[in-house]
Amino acid sequence: MHPQLQLLVALQDLDEMINETANQGTELEGLGFKHGGLEELKKSREDLATKIEPGHLSWYKRLTGKFGHAVVPVVSNLCTGCFANIPSSFVSKTNENKVQKCESCGRLLYWP
Amino acid sequence: MDIAEVLKHTSPELFLPNLTATDKQGALAEMVEGLIAGTQISKPETIMQMLTSREALGSTAVGPGIGFPHGRTLAVQRLTIMIARSAEGVDFDSEDGNKTHLFFMLIAPPQDSGHQYIKSLAALIDRIQDGDLRDSLMAAENYESFCNAMKED
Repeated sequence: MHPQLQLLVALQDLDEMINETANQGTELEGLGFKHGGLEELKKSREDLATKIEPGHLSWYKRLTGKFGHAVVPVVSNLCTGCFANIPSSFVSKTNENKVQKCESCGRLLYWP
Repeated sequence: MDIAEVLKHTSPELFLPNLTATDKQGALAEMVEGLIAGTQISKPETIMQMLTSREALGSTAVGPGIGFPHGRTLAVQRLTIMIARSAEGVDFDSEDGNKTHLFFMLIAPPQDSGHQYIKSLAALIDRIQDGDLRDSLMAAENYESFCNAMKED
């Protein structure tokens, strides 16, 4: 996986955790889970964001605002964000050399 | 949610009856390794990063001797539950300071409509309150016995 994409995946996982704590923290705390480290987690998120190239980060923010999730997995040659077909020729040049975007919706593509 | 429904998200390949690690990072790594070996999931480093971040938020060892490491990550396509057990116990930063012996690790995708994993967490936590059941689970000889004990009324 491209190192920048790996950082973007980690960033999205962190954002998911922060959002879930904000939106469902009460429910989770009701189950006994404590969220005392939320501020530290937000700090980690900011530190991680500084390692991402500004262009990628800007695109990530734009997509997150538009779709909720910026990075989506490719399953059975489909972008799971918009279900557009990802041509096999496109798949074959993936992963190592660049951060790939869906040509239909622009989401960042991740091959699980 | 019915406990039998929850157990559909695990399998014999996702049962580690004898964890060897005795510290939190080691136990998480061993469980993630088991997860990778027992499924088609790859990207262990992504899952470890998510779990480590989650533990920084607060320990997931919330039950008496029970831990529920959990979270969402792009590394999985569906809710997957790993079960692990340690007779010796793991120092998992539990609130009561005691060692953690039984783990249910729940890994969910970001697009988990209906919040399956939170419902599964709630069902597991509710079920595990029974002290006799916890003893049975620690003594269960195999995955099948473990699941049967979980499903018994």
